[in-house]
Amino acid sequence: MGDYKFAKDKLAEVLSALEEYEVFAPEAIGDVLRFKAVSDPAGVNLDDYDNTTVPPKELMFPQTETLFKYRLGQTDVEPELPDPSSKRVVVGIRPCDALAYTIVDNLYGWDFPDPYYQKRRESTTLVGLACAVPCSTCFCPSVGGAPASEKGLDALMFDLGDVYYVKALTDKGEEFGRAAGLEAAGDAESKAAAKQGEDALAKVPRSIETTGIPEHLPALYDDTFWEQFSDRCLSCGICTFLCPTCHCFDIQDECESFDGRRARMWDTCMFAEYTRHTSGHNPRPTRKERTRNRISHKYSYFPEKFDVIACVGCGRCIKNCPVNIDILDILEKSKQAGAKEAKTA
Amino acid sequence: MTEEYEPNIVAFLCNWCSYAGADLAGTSRTHYLPNVKIIRVMCSGRVNPLFIVNALQQGADGVLISGCHPGDCHYLEGNFFARRRFMLMRKLLEHVGVDPGRVNMSWVSASEGAKFKDVVDDVVAKAKEAGPMDQFRRRQINW
Amino acid sequence: MVDEKKLQDKAKETLIRDDVRRLIGWKRSTYGYEAAPAVLTDASQADQLIFDPTCVQNLASFISLEEKKPVARGAEPDTRKIAVMVKGCDSRAIVQQLVEKAYSRDDVVVLGIPCMGVIDRRKAEKLFGETAGQVSAKVDKEKVAVDIEGDVKTVDRKDILMDKCLRCRYPNPLVSDFLLGEEVEKWADDDFADVDDFEKMSPEEKWKHWDEQFSKCIRCYSCKSVCPMCYCVECVVTQLKPQWTRRSTDISENTAYHIQRAWHLAGRCIECMECQRVCPVDIPIMTLNRKMTRDVKEMFDYEPGVDPEGEPMLASYNPQDPEDYIM
Repeated sequence: MGDYKFAKDKLAEVLSALEEYEVFAPEAIGDVLRFKAVSDPAGVNLDDYDNTTVPPKELMFPQTETLFKYRLGQTDVEPELPDPSSKRVVVGIRPCDALAYTIVDNLYGWDFPDPYYQKRRESTTLVGLACAVPCSTCFCPSVGGAPASEKGLDALMFDLGDVYYVKALTDKGEEFGRAAGLEAAGDAESKAAAKQGEDALAKVPRSIETTGIPEHLPALYDDTFWEQFSDRCLSCGICTFLCPTCHCFDIQDECESFDGRRARMWDTCMFAEYTRHTSGHNPRPTRKERTRNRISHKYSYFPEKFDVIACVGCGRCIKNCPVNIDILDILEKSKQAGAKEAKTA
Repeated sequence: MTEEYEPNIVAFLCNWCSYAGADLAGTSRTHYLPNVKIIRVMCSGRVNPLFIVNALQQGADGVLISGCHPGDCHYLEGNFFARRRFMLMRKLLEHVGVDPGRVNMSWVSASEGAKFKDVVDDVVAKAKEAGPMDQFRRRQINW
Repeated sequence: MVDEKKLQDKAKETLIRDDVRRLIGWKRSTYGYEAAPAVLTDASQADQLIFDPTCVQNLASFISLEEKKPVARGAEPDTRKIAVMVKGCDSRAIVQQLVEKAYSRDDVVVLGIPCMGVIDRRKAEKLFGETAGQVSAKVDKEKVAVDIEGDVKTVDRKDILMDKCLRCRYPNPLVSDFLLGEEVEKWADDDFADVDDFEKMSPEEKWKHWDEQFSKCIRCYSCKSVCPMCYCVECVVTQLKPQWTRRSTDISENTAYHIQRAWHLAGRCIECMECQRVCPVDIPIMTLNRKMTRDVKEMFDYEPGVDPEGEPMLASYNPQDPEDYIM
């Protein structure tokens, strides 16, 4: 695979050259960053950006998405599938968020291949941007990632001061390099990039040893352990909506006089309504069960099924939680509690 | 030919005064504008301010809430509560950027058929001035 | 300042009481500029309690967050009290909850703390950058000293305190069973200049502002979840029959949600600013709440969360209320 580079001040030109693609890049409204379709390449700024507040999972499964439309008196429906021939490129996605796609792929390609998600995935080229300075809440190396991880990416960019070094990783990435008209990079850049990756890895502020966690979490199912965290949980959706691997959705029908649509929208296990039955019974009646579910799903149920922890260590849930429910704190304490539980059993 | 813009007005009228007032306007053959779509409620105090937001979402360009004159409420004080509510709701919508002319309130008694006509004329004129309500109208599901 | 030893002793004393079920206070968080709420059930845990300017959360919210589990047949429901630590602004939430009869005065033990202001995480991150370390702080009449893992930085109050603290009129708790620490002097007043400034905009400009802000909303409902006044068992926005607000996120539903939220807090918002603090996408939610607060004061001469004997604003009226726009 090829190595490319381009001068930093040429970013707008490079993005403009991608005519056949719909280009997505982080866009700032105030201090809040989010991936948006680029309308003005000159406005894209990849400097001093940690990560987007809302993860780019919304590019593959939007928060609200029409599945199909229907009309009174008509027997067939009109599906709204994304067009697989439209090419999209996401520029500046962080390695953790790209890794998240590879985890969620398991779910959306499992018992029922989800055409909406998969078509978007197929038509999208992911051009990552390695982290030179990790965020204050990152712990990606603990869960299989790294500030310069290549997993799930089609190409990876490194910010080397005044040039971007672009390492193509797949055919799609190669195609991106050609379409953007990038020049070939030399050994110097590739060495600098490798060094940057190693340096960044050493700077990741937090970590957890995950060995054994998936096995001992089920033992804590009925333990009061969870209450020390759930007692201060607000039951809001910040942690799950901002999680790049959380993928739950709700399906609702929205109707007007004669027309309607079936849409799916993000849902979260932190809301009481999530599990409430029609009868009014709720199998997860309190915040304890809901907190337990969030952690256990990521670190126990998902690994059990797909052999991978559904967490990429981006730190968004830690950073944005208003009441300091810190997933690393929970996991660390769960080890002690799990050991105690094992002893008594 | 450009058609003149005709706003949709949703009117919540109380059963005991304003609805009877509108009825009187009709039986006295007073011609009031057909833009107004009337919903009868038992009291102006029954009108939940969320009705207003929902009406604006679903295609209303203006809203009218009408009840008995203060002191004449069939339920003694329902319209006093409604008055507080809609004074505030109007301010809130104004703060969000909704034209204040879209939210209207009036006192129309059962004997004020002529006043009802004037109120409707006024509300329609204000809604026309404000233009179509497109700020947070629900997106239509088009086939 | 509050003596932490005294605070912990009082907490112990309270938790030992037979009629107290749990105590809600603050403890040091695992990292960063904000403390963490601590829900304690045992006196032995009281040592972790703290109070300093990082204790930003309004703990009055947590009284109603506790789910009421069904009581087994023959068993008696647990009617013991909840003890809660409150700052001046937080105490107004308790007053307003009492006014609305959310619970009775006997159900809570209020440990009041006179407060000199709390830190705004966003301002602190701008000043000193993000930190993975633990932070403590001290505040006096002029300066705030922030201690980031031993590295002490001193800044002017106005540069780091929450906006609500810079216009705080109630630094001392309005309701409390025990006061921890000396009462402090009021240092500011509120002239609602921000509301006046916003009102100078034209309707088009206002809508442009809100269009941009509401479009960001991801409807995580953290603003309503954290609000001490949002304690309805079933919130109207999550109700399915009738479904007033659709779950889908677009400008129409997001706007409807925010109008509903602000509306339900009209004459009830006690300005603890928690909604704006927790918003992950930085929507200036308080702009709407403050408009309501100002207008309620102007039109109906009502201030929420001040008089425990008062009546809820929308459940009362004055025959002389203004009606200048009514035809």
